[in-house]
Amino acid sequence: MEQELFKNIWWVLALPVFGFLIQAFTGKIIIDNLGAKIGRRVMGALAVLPIVLSFGLASQITIALAKLPEEGRTQILTLFEWITVGNLSIPFELRVDALSMTMVLIITGIGSLIHLYATGYMAEEPDFPRFFTYLNLFVAAMLILVLGNNLALLFVGWEGVGVCSYLLIGFWYKDKANSFASNKAFIVNRVGDWGLTLGMFTLAFMAAIALGKDGVEPRWLSYDVLLPNAAAIASRFDPWMLTAACILLFIGAMGKSAQFPLYIWLPDAMAGPTPVSALIHAATMVTSGVFLLNRMSPFFALSPTAGAVVAIFGAITALLGALIAFGQTDIKKVLAFSTVSQLGYMFIACGVGAYWVGLFHVATHAFFKALLFLGSGAVIHAMSHNQDMRNYGKLLKYLPITGSTMLVGWMAIAGLPFLSGAFSKEEILINANGSPLTWYNIPIGTAVFWVALIVAGLTALYMSRMTYMTFFSGQERWRLIPAHGHADHHDEHHHDVHHEDNAHDDHHGPDVHNFFYTDAEMEARALATPYEHHHDLDENHEPHEVPPSMYIPLIALAFMSIIGGGWLFFGVNLSGWLHSAGVVVHEHGHHYSPMEFVKHSFENWIFYAATGMFLFGIGYGWFRYGKSLPEHDGMDTSKWHGWRKAAANHFGIDNAFTQGSIKGGSLLGQLSWGFDRIIVDGIVNATGLISKELGKLISGAQNGYVRSYALIMQLGIAALIIYFMYQMYTVSGGGN
Amino acid sequence: MPNILIQFPMAAVFNEIPLSWFLTLSLIMFALGSLGVMIRKNPVVVFMCIELMLNAVNLSFLSFAAYPNAAVASQDPVQSAMSGQAMVMIVMAIAAAEVAVGLGIIMSIFRYRNQVDVDEMNTMRG
Repeated sequence: MEQELFKNIWWVLALPVFGFLIQAFTGKIIIDNLGAKIGRRVMGALAVLPIVLSFGLASQITIALAKLPEEGRTQILTLFEWITVGNLSIPFELRVDALSMTMVLIITGIGSLIHLYATGYMAEEPDFPRFFTYLNLFVAAMLILVLGNNLALLFVGWEGVGVCSYLLIGFWYKDKANSFASNKAFIVNRVGDWGLTLGMFTLAFMAAIALGKDGVEPRWLSYDVLLPNAAAIASRFDPWMLTAACILLFIGAMGKSAQFPLYIWLPDAMAGPTPVSALIHAATMVTSGVFLLNRMSPFFALSPTAGAVVAIFGAITALLGALIAFGQTDIKKVLAFSTVSQLGYMFIACGVGAYWVGLFHVATHAFFKALLFLGSGAVIHAMSHNQDMRNYGKLLKYLPITGSTMLVGWMAIAGLPFLSGAFSKEEILINANGSPLTWYNIPIGTAVFWVALIVAGLTALYMSRMTYMTFFSGQERWRLIPAHGHADHHDEHHHDVHHEDNAHDDHHGPDVHNFFYTDAEMEARALATPYEHHHDLDENHEPHEVPPSMYIPLIALAFMSIIGGGWLFFGVNLSGWLHSAGVVVHEHGHHYSPMEFVKHSFENWIFYAATGMFLFGIGYGWFRYGKSLPEHDGMDTSKWHGWRKAAANHFGIDNAFTQGSIKGGSLLGQLSWGFDRIIVDGIVNATGLISKELGKLISGAQNGYVRSYALIMQLGIAALIIYFMYQMYTVSGGGN
Repeated sequence: MPNILIQFPMAAVFNEIPLSWFLTLSLIMFALGSLGVMIRKNPVVVFMCIELMLNAVNLSFLSFAAYPNAAVASQDPVQSAMSGQAMVMIVMAIAAAEVAVGLGIIMSIFRYRNQVDVDEMNTMRG
């Protein structure tokens, strides 16, 4: 009976696929026939429904899974044969275990909330079905990524989510900045995919030698064969081989999960609609790197060097993201760098060997970061799509629901004790500090612990900066914008290139290459689907609270942000739960009761240190930003401190990498062009020239006189005859 | 098995004239023919020279047929004699066809250019 239930896992995957097909093929027809208003309602419902059903089914399966004994918590459903080469078989098979179902619940649960939110947020979007087509496709691809039972399927999902991310960042493609941002995301991710594919091939090579013999299990790339044999595979090779495979896989994770130095795409990805930022670029897709490390933890656990590399890059990313966040004035950019920083945190956990803690932080971060992003979307929605925090202030009065839920998110990420963020953050700190990880006698674990502790303080501080600037800070600063003088004001935001409101601009023209629409077509299009005219933010603006479809997800996520951490820690016992899925967990089985945990916390100095960092962050933040906008962080960027200007400019890292890769690529192109021109073209031309000159030389023999041809022919025949006669002469014994 | 070749009226001649004489005559005819092909300008004469060469070959065929190799003839003298003569018939048939085609070509060239000097026909020069 229960086996039957596990077989239904394919429905979890199929429902978003059906949703995607419905959106893609009937969306336009339905909206054309029912009219924009009702049509969008219907399509919105059709978009949310599959994800909600999927979530419901996944919850049922997870509950059934939890009832099984720990050894039996891995169920595999083979759908069809996919790749068969020699003695290797890679079927299309789905794996139901604790790790995959945890991710599935995050994806479909938060996914359905964000879909619901998006029906409200995108209500005025003319390309409504296209948005939900991509969004449903994204959910399907993400589910393949986490449910697949081998690295090949993971790669399919990995690329699928990459494509959806690309499509959604560039959703408002008529603005070139958005197209550039989506290109950047896609190209930077290619660098990561290069590492991922090489890592997969290295692992497959090792597995092929260790496991891929004739007559044994042909599914040796499937997790259930590969992972239990990790030690056996590794022992057949030099340790560097495994380290190389792990580091290559980590490079893949770097790209998708925005780790230094490949983080540069994520801030630009904020060009996409805000629900996309919340779902893809905060809650789910960017955590797939952490999922990969958890899935591959039996391999990573065997290579301390790879662990040290992961931890070091995680620490660099956490610190860098937190510092850059101070230089951002765009509310979404602050959250983007916060995401980068928190992802660094997750990799610190994975690096020091506490893989389950990494996934714990994935889950809690998904709650509060999705909440913060959706809240920021609601604020942006209420503020006429102006994203500059310096124009906000005292918004709590106008946006009570959005504001109070965002305050919960702020508390959760800043680390108020016993909220979800504090749980996972503290676990990371404890595990880093207690980690025996050393590398060439450098105590990596302790080093990253101190970095993480500093970042905890910085996180509390920049999140307080954002919250105070938006919801408090004494004055309603948009009142300072003259009603018709906003043009000069906009000039000051030269670094703020990704305006979300471009799709709504009436005066927005076609692109200069006439690639998409002509002026006339553009006007006809605008007339056919009239937008609600968005006035710009100025002194007459009155912010309004968002509709229920947008605040219901906020409330749900705020609820989860409060209790999520404790629930996963005490209720689910995440470490034991993930251990049953094959994730490497040290000291598992140690399960605290809540009271025991509280008592234990108060005995641990790390708890006080983390709480101190939290208090420092919100307190110093209040001192700086609570009353008014300080001058060194104000509208006039020339009065900023040098370090803040540097932070606003990403410390030059983004430019260095972008320019470096463009210049380097150009140089490489020049070099290979030179090689092509001199060597390759040289060979080709030389071949032609030799034939030509040789032909010229020989063509002298073609003098056009029949008689000379005849002479040459006869001389040739005579020579042949003489040769044959000489041969016969020698064969017959030389005349003797 | 009677040797039918030896029984025709001039059979006695072959007892007195050695094979090498016939072959020498054939060689002279062939050499003259090829020399003519190379030095004459009139295509009709060139044709005649080619015919001369063909007939030189025919002569050597017939000579070999009339002077059967002892080893072959002792096994099957009829086949030995007839194969050489059959080859001659084929050569003559081909020569006739060739002349028909060749003369046709010469005629059309003449109509086109009003002369048939082979040295003037050198448009294929490289």
